[in-house]
Amino acid sequence: MKRVPLWGAVLAVCANLMAFSPVQAVPSAPVAAKTEAANAQALLAQVRQRVQDAPVVRGQFTQLKTVQGFKQPLKSSGDFVVARGKGIAWQVRQPFASTLIVKPDSLLSRAADGSVAMQMKAQDEPVLRTINAMLFAVMAADLAQLSQYFEVTGQVHSSGWKLHLVPRDAMLAQWLQAVDLSGQQFVQEVQLQEARGDRSQILIQNPAAEQALRAQDASLFE
Amino acid sequence: MHSPLSSAPAAVGPGRLWRWAAFAWLLVVLAVAGHQWRFWQQDRIDTDVLALLPLNEQAPDVARATQQLSEQLSRQVVVLLGTAQWADSRQAAQVFRQSLAQQQLAPLREEPLAQQTSMQSALDFYQPWRQALLTPQQRERLQHTPREALVQQALQDLYQPGMQARLTDWVSDPLGLWTQWWAARAAQSQARPRDGELWVSAQERQWVLLQYGLSGSAFRLSGEPILQEAMQTALAQVRQQWPDAQLLLAGVPLHAEAAATQAHGEINTIGWGSLAGVLLLAWLAFRSVRPVALVGLSLLVGTAVALSVTALFFDQVHLLTLVFGASLVGVAEDYGIHYFAARQGEPDRTPHALMRALQPALWLALGTSVIAYVALGAAAFPGLRQMALFSVVGLAAAMLTVVCWFPWLDRGQVPQSRIAHRIGQTLNAWPRWRAARWGSALLCALMAAGIWLGGGVNIQDDVRQLQNGNPSLIAQQRQVGEMLGLPSPAQFYLLKGSDAQQVLQREEALKARLDALVPQHQLAGYTAVSDWVPSAQRQAQDAALVRSVQADVLQGINAQLGEAFAPPAVKATAPLDVQDWLAQPIAAAARPLWLGTYDGATRSMLMLRGVQGQAALPALAAAAEGLEGVTWVDKPAEISGLLQRYRISMTELLVLGHALVLGALWLRFGRKAWRAWVPTVLASLAVVAVMAAWGQPWQLFNVLALMLLLGVGIDYGIFLQEHEDDPHAWLAVVIGAGSTWLSFGLLGLSSTPALRAFGVTLMLGLPLVLVLAPLFRAGTVVCSDRTTIA
Repeated sequence: MKRVPLWGAVLAVCANLMAFSPVQAVPSAPVAAKTEAANAQALLAQVRQRVQDAPVVRGQFTQLKTVQGFKQPLKSSGDFVVARGKGIAWQVRQPFASTLIVKPDSLLSRAADGSVAMQMKAQDEPVLRTINAMLFAVMAADLAQLSQYFEVTGQVHSSGWKLHLVPRDAMLAQWLQAVDLSGQQFVQEVQLQEARGDRSQILIQNPAAEQALRAQDASLFE
Repeated sequence: MHSPLSSAPAAVGPGRLWRWAAFAWLLVVLAVAGHQWRFWQQDRIDTDVLALLPLNEQAPDVARATQQLSEQLSRQVVVLLGTAQWADSRQAAQVFRQSLAQQQLAPLREEPLAQQTSMQSALDFYQPWRQALLTPQQRERLQHTPREALVQQALQDLYQPGMQARLTDWVSDPLGLWTQWWAARAAQSQARPRDGELWVSAQERQWVLLQYGLSGSAFRLSGEPILQEAMQTALAQVRQQWPDAQLLLAGVPLHAEAAATQAHGEINTIGWGSLAGVLLLAWLAFRSVRPVALVGLSLLVGTAVALSVTALFFDQVHLLTLVFGASLVGVAEDYGIHYFAARQGEPDRTPHALMRALQPALWLALGTSVIAYVALGAAAFPGLRQMALFSVVGLAAAMLTVVCWFPWLDRGQVPQSRIAHRIGQTLNAWPRWRAARWGSALLCALMAAGIWLGGGVNIQDDVRQLQNGNPSLIAQQRQVGEMLGLPSPAQFYLLKGSDAQQVLQREEALKARLDALVPQHQLAGYTAVSDWVPSAQRQAQDAALVRSVQADVLQGINAQLGEAFAPPAVKATAPLDVQDWLAQPIAAAARPLWLGTYDGATRSMLMLRGVQGQAALPALAAAAEGLEGVTWVDKPAEISGLLQRYRISMTELLVLGHALVLGALWLRFGRKAWRAWVPTVLASLAVVAVMAAWGQPWQLFNVLALMLLLGVGIDYGIFLQEHEDDPHAWLAVVIGAGSTWLSFGLLGLSSTPALRAFGVTLMLGLPLVLVLAPLFRAGTVVCSDRTTIA
């Protein structure tokens, strides 16, 4: 249980501590200056125009993960499906097969043999809902959602767009330093920079928009 | 005081004793007035309903635990403010905060939330014992999963997309155990930090959680709903911008305030209502300002002295004592009324001579009332003791005012009144029951048999009879508890051991049983100190397990990925200790559960979350069985048991009280004593019969009311026996009964079920005694009839 959902878990811990130990008020996150906000809005509007809003996007991915202590980066690859309103399924094929399914209200990891390796439900861990919404926003480049969680800066070129996301919430910033997204019609690259120094780079290959889930994928979200 | 006064020679003028008594009483009253002045400056009013209950002598530990718990909760207010959108809720919370801060009247101080640094300090504190901490699920998994599968799990985690939010570097914790352990700690609450606020998502709304504490040394209950009004004002400001904003409030101070507001209203209704009634009756009977003013004076002195003496004996005066005390007006007026009725009957006699003649009846009436109230106070209920003391002192003070002052203050004539005359004359028209002796015995037997055969009364020893909570507040409290996943204080386990380690081990044994009930949905979970500080034994076992698993996992990873990870060196550390933990800010989570060491034993509480109603209780009670030092506490059941025990013993005491009163009457009236006694017995039985037929719940407080009926009702018999066929004595009895009835009738309007039971019982019983008492006059008529026949 040490993947993305850990944001949730860790946030949860912090929350609990906050609830329990009254020390000092946390000043609320400063609201971005008006011009900045306007710029971000304009930027997001431009990106929004380019990103294709499809019910289902599917393709392959390659991930390079740099974890401190490991001699070499950890490289994996597989398939993914992003289904609007249903969730995201990552099927890792190489080098160790597993499946990670992110639904709006749950998170499930299956081993190669199909056994459930880990499961989290939003009813047990309320932060999960937010984390999953955020992940979904990242994958779908759902910019309205993204600007809720992050300070967004970036550029738009004729060849594509780049966004640099910095968490607004100080608590989240303790774990995640920044997210870099780039793409055109679809998100093509996601880079996660963790505060502890570990880094993940996910490259999206052959993304394709489809109108509905394929039969074999639909079962993933059940 | 009785004997010297009555033995004073029947001189024309009042003797020295009268002067001395009046003066002495004046000093007492002045002292009380001074004390009253101070009393109302301080805050000495108690509103906790449970404070009325006796300490459970069968379980002093439980009582102490409950008290410790309620002290910790007594100053907290929890506010949930929600709108549909989180961004709106955040801004609304700011508006709410500012609005509350601007309201100077409300003594509330926001308890700010922890900074991230406190999370960091908690992590730093726990760091040395990282490997010694496992959740039950983790322990189970590490024990029973093949090591190879754990290696696969670690590989899977490394290669799945996304980031690894770890609390340590990877090699120190390749399975992420520590993060999971913290997540399990966090799962005990539903509130999460978000954008510098505490966030709860429920009922399709995004809520901000705000915590307030009462500031200032004493919370003054003025009878005004200051807290509630401040909250509603702040909400109104929020709603100007966000009309859909919702507010949920929880916390003891709000309940206390609601109870105080309600009680103030009731004290006013009952106190002023019965005072007005008494004075009106006095006016109708005596048609003069003086009797009205003097009766009012005796009531005022009686109430003030009662309050002062109660405050001297008890640390705090309970609100319900005051509510109950307000009905005292209706009883204490008897003495003054009696005096003026006698004056009307013998206008030519000097006040002091008249008072001398009246004294035996007055003292006897006071004596029987005192017996009844003392019997009330014999129950070990602190609340009842207060009420009893308040009433006895109040009656005695009203009586002394009448005896010592009235003859001096009452100068001049008491005008005759037509209404008074008519009321007095009804006595002559009242029938006498010639076969009263055997007839009443038969009637008593019939009623007792009827009650017995009819299945008895509908007994209800439920704790709810004590609660008069505001339904909206209770609903909000429950909602907040559910939304935040707070443990319920109603049921818990009490653990006891010779030292901290033994207590922690016992907690662990109990938790193992509770873990088995969670999948059956009997409960959602529990909160215990051993969640945060496992026993030393458990820590050593878990650390050994974790080290062995981690070594194998690292070896497996090395083999698969060609890495060269080595398990970190083991540093010898003393086990994590409760005392060290208690000193940390993080301990706030469960600190209230650690009751500490006293009387040679260490104690803790284990609280439950999400108990699935009454149906789950037997299984939870059974979980404690066979475990040494573990006690299951079901507070509502315990209180109900207590009320039941007291209902039974007070019923016995009621019978004893009747016997004592009959004995006291025997001393004065000899063989005619039963004539003063039987009307009350009949009325009491009739009340029980009516309540049974009506299907009304029967509880401790009905029994206590019958005790009071004994005290008050016997008086009517006494006055009628003392002054047979005296229309003026009858007038006093009727007026007295009328005002008493009015007072308790108003008490019957109280929203506290216990007080309502008092009121209703007496409302039924008193008129019955009044109607029955003259039937039992032996009187001359019977004798003359007999002579005629002879």
